[in-house]
Amino acid sequence: MTAKVSGDANEKAAVQAVLPPKDWGPEVEELRRRRTYAKALGGEEAVARHRERGRLTIRERVAGLVDHGSFQEVGTLTGHGKYDGPNVTGVQPAPYVMGLASIDGRPVAVGGEDFTIRGGASWSGDRKKGGQGGFVEDLAASYRIPLVNLIDGAGGSVTSINKRGHAVFPGVHGFERSVELLGKVPVVCAVLGTAAGGPAGRAILSHWSVMVDGISQVFAAGPPVVERSLGQKLTKEELGGPQVAVDLAGTIDNRVDTEQACFAQVKRFLSYMPQNVWEMPPEVACTDPVDRCDEELLSIVPRDRRRPYNMRKLIEHVVDRGSVFEIQPTYGKGLITVLARMNGKVVGIIANNPMVYGGAMDVKAARKQIHFVELCDCFHIPLVFLVDVPGFMVGRDAEAAATLREGMRAVYVGLQATVPMYTVVIRKCYGMAGMGTTDKNGLDLKIAWPSAEWGSLPIEGGVAAAFRRDIAGAADPKAREREIEDELRSMASPFRTAEAFGVEEIIDPRETRPYLCRFIDAAQARLRTTLGPKAKYGVRP
Amino acid sequence: MATIQIKAEVSGSVWKIITQVGETVEPGSTLMILESMKMEIPVIAEDGGKVEKFTVAETEAVNEGQIVAVLSK
Repeated sequence: MTAKVSGDANEKAAVQAVLPPKDWGPEVEELRRRRTYAKALGGEEAVARHRERGRLTIRERVAGLVDHGSFQEVGTLTGHGKYDGPNVTGVQPAPYVMGLASIDGRPVAVGGEDFTIRGGASWSGDRKKGGQGGFVEDLAASYRIPLVNLIDGAGGSVTSINKRGHAVFPGVHGFERSVELLGKVPVVCAVLGTAAGGPAGRAILSHWSVMVDGISQVFAAGPPVVERSLGQKLTKEELGGPQVAVDLAGTIDNRVDTEQACFAQVKRFLSYMPQNVWEMPPEVACTDPVDRCDEELLSIVPRDRRRPYNMRKLIEHVVDRGSVFEIQPTYGKGLITVLARMNGKVVGIIANNPMVYGGAMDVKAARKQIHFVELCDCFHIPLVFLVDVPGFMVGRDAEAAATLREGMRAVYVGLQATVPMYTVVIRKCYGMAGMGTTDKNGLDLKIAWPSAEWGSLPIEGGVAAAFRRDIAGAADPKAREREIEDELRSMASPFRTAEAFGVEEIIDPRETRPYLCRFIDAAQARLRTTLGPKAKYGVRP
Repeated sequence: MATIQIKAEVSGSVWKIITQVGETVEPGSTLMILESMKMEIPVIAEDGGKVEKFTVAETEAVNEGQIVAVLSK
């Protein structure tokens, strides 16, 4: 249709109305509006209720975690649209926000449930956004970048039977991706609300997890289910607050008191991790002198064998100043696991804590060591064992808890690991637990302090069993037992083992830092030339 | 005034109580020594404060996580 040109203003306006727009302005305007719907989350009221409970929204969480302005959202427009004829009047966003961002300048995939929309329950679009698998996990796997899950979802609901007309088979596609990621890129899960079922399970499938006091609980099932099943009346906090989930059970690794502290810890953890298993862990410039030989180390171990000492202080004297990040500080306290740096290079420290059962390995300590060894092995982080272990925990309770089995698992996992390990015997190194601190697959470099002592079992106790007849036949059995003990102890000096090259070196405790730094520096070529995923064979006992 | 409960980190027995009720202790001070696994394990007041009471006596057995002293601050 051709328009007639005329001087009449009304006619001119009428002609313009039928002409198609010259550009995509109207659609871009709709896009802007749709983005506004996404930013509104579950609406003002729901967001206000969420904040009243002392919790940040998912968008605030992402902003608090990642480098300023670095969040590039993916799937902004997802949700349920409302229409007036052909025109959209609103969209209830999908209860999951995710995308690409950067942390300390390095790309990460980040996502989390939006609790303000149906409690962050799962959403069924054509493609899953995240939670268990989904785009955000595909992004991490495909681009080989770390994944951060900000978990605040209640998981499945029986109401879905109503909607679908059938019961959903447990498990969704996506969990296999979550498993695959654990061998490829760092996965961090922060529990920032009440997580049950799927989201709780997802939190466990991580290299490191954290929860926030007061707002986070995690359990297989919440109070109503527990009361119905077992008749136990418990609050959410009693069932899955950090005192249970972190301190007692070790289900989640670390606890912090605010969401801000949580984001800081996530960043800190990732600062020790490579982007993926094909890359080296990030090295930083070291300002702490490599040859720093702290005088305190000479006297830190008391001469009296009955007296323990502060292993955490010992660690601080050895590693780069300010580089300590402790994993699971409140669980399995007989063992200390720390990410740290030596001459700027990332190391994993595993130290026995003599303050707790003399450093004996119990089920919890074994479990903690297993995860930490696998974490460091996976990401090519050398391990330093600071050894003071009298052996596996003994006694009826320990046997009933399967200490022997869990302890041997720790030994098994250690013997499967191929990352360089350094054994530094501070005091006791006995039995299977002692063997588990050595690098049998590698150089097997074992150094010791003069305070070191070792054997297949401690002399006390061991003598009574091995010399039973000799002792029983003596005029004064007690005296004879002591006599044999003294005799054996005189031969237990670490210097004698060093003569036989059964231990590679005895060092002045003050030399520990320079000695280790030297060997860790030298192992870098080995690490660089053996990067990549690690296949694991065999059956863990 | 906040009260601080001091818990035993290990099971064992109370060997020596080395502070007095009413005494003000610095952060990191040893309140008492337990005997556990043939080792002398100090019970440490991380935050410090005034010792209000001991809930155990010397030679008594203690369980892991048991409250052994109460401090105020």
